[in-house]
Amino acid sequence: MSSVRWSGLPRVARHAVLVVLLVAAWQAYVSVSHVNPLLFASPWRTATTLWDDWRDGSLAAPTWTTLRILLEGVGIGIAVAVVLTVFATLSRFGADVLELLTSIFNPLPGVAVLPLAMLWFGINESAIVFAIANATVWPVAINLSAGFKTVPPTLVAVGRNIGLSRLRVVTDVLAPAALPHAVSGLKTAWAFGWRTVIAAELVFGVAGSKGGLGNYINNARLFLLTPRVFAGLVTIAVLGVVFESLFGALEARTTVRWGMKAS
Amino acid sequence: MADVTAVAAQRAPEASGAAPLVRLRGVRLGYETPAGFHLAVERIDLDVRPREKLVVIGPSGCGKSTLLKAIAGFVAPIAGTIELDGRDSLAPGPDRALVFQEFDQLFPWRTVLGNVAYPLRVNGHDRTAAAARARDFLRLTHLDRHAHRHPHELSGGMKQRVAIARALALEPRMLLMDEPFGALDAITRQRLQAELNRIVTRTEVTLVFVTHSIEEALVLGDRVVVMGKPPSRVVEVVDVRELGGPETPQYSEMRGRLRSLLAVDRSEDDELG
Repeated sequence: MSSVRWSGLPRVARHAVLVVLLVAAWQAYVSVSHVNPLLFASPWRTATTLWDDWRDGSLAAPTWTTLRILLEGVGIGIAVAVVLTVFATLSRFGADVLELLTSIFNPLPGVAVLPLAMLWFGINESAIVFAIANATVWPVAINLSAGFKTVPPTLVAVGRNIGLSRLRVVTDVLAPAALPHAVSGLKTAWAFGWRTVIAAELVFGVAGSKGGLGNYINNARLFLLTPRVFAGLVTIAVLGVVFESLFGALEARTTVRWGMKAS
Repeated sequence: MADVTAVAAQRAPEASGAAPLVRLRGVRLGYETPAGFHLAVERIDLDVRPREKLVVIGPSGCGKSTLLKAIAGFVAPIAGTIELDGRDSLAPGPDRALVFQEFDQLFPWRTVLGNVAYPLRVNGHDRTAAAARARDFLRLTHLDRHAHRHPHELSGGMKQRVAIARALALEPRMLLMDEPFGALDAITRQRLQAELNRIVTRTEVTLVFVTHSIEEALVLGDRVVVMGKPPSRVVEVVDVRELGGPETPQYSEMRGRLRSLLAVDRSEDDELG
């Protein structure tokens, strides 16, 4: 094709080219097929809607709401997972409890607990936070305890040999040694949390004035504002890419740099 | 005249074993394996003298590593006592610094300098003092140029030198080494043996070194403890101080003797060739 080798290009450039191709295909489909604009928005219409709604805050507000709910849920999930994992690491009984709970709850899709959460908390944010926390806690706990289990015994022996207390062996040896697993647990948790929060907001439909992104999309669907549906979806996708690269940067500075994970 | 008596007085208890640093009496050791409990050491009575280099040698499964772990305080004997300065029931501590065979004994998330300095901070040195002291010991092990690398960027021999520097920086009473050069190539191994000899003599640390190499035992040891096959006892303790280099007839004679001691014991053991 040309003298420029695809694999020789920097990652950012390769991705940019792919995004352009994708948008071009999208535009081509809209132009050629004469699809009903009420049902399918063009890239241009989506872009202008994105611009307008970000500027007047009607998309920014739901985005922050969703991110805040997500952070709360993931934060609670991680905290609970850490406590569970510490118990599981300290005793056989704790390990069995974690194993059983994980095998029961981990296969459940995050939104599956939503009906119960609605009964317990009402139709509000707390119910969604609960569902996210539930979706987060199990993958984090699985990965963390796998991380703790695979720490080389020699490293733990060194920790005790240099005079670390049991607690400091956990904080100064086990925790950093388990970091590669912890980060991959975090990535899974974040992805599960995302799906759960959007799905939960869609299920709730219109719930008060402080709805999130799912709510924004659902509202747009209700009023047949298809470009807004697209704008909401694009926002979700962009945020996904942003967080993915944040996690990638975190790994490059830690586990990859330390030779604990291949780059 | 006064000096001579002083030296003699200092040496006398060592030679007679009157004031050992570690005293093992009737020690019985074993460990759990997937196949069940393995009695490794039937009974061992042994004194480790201050500032000596004691090498423990024996066939696989004879409990030489377990013996080291017991002195380090990781394994409690099933029977008998292990006393350090008269204290029994030892817990692990930085006064008996361990060096393992495995390369993964370094903290991968810390630099070479960090690996040596961190245990010092744990033991009460402030950040600056720990770093300065760590640098001294990295110089001693010829690693000062690599202070800011991470362990995964080092060769096996360099990793073991970091582990030795880390152990010695703690100024332990004892340096306990579990086949630290076992996974290294022959040339690196020889170089590290010479380096260790120099450093241990200079720091006057008491060394207990486990190996299954007769040559390594002769190069490093003041005394060599030969263990039998499991459940083991001490077959013999030999003094190898005055042997001279590998060219001397005494050296070859001693090597032959240790070989036959280990071989006699191995005769019924199919696993060892």
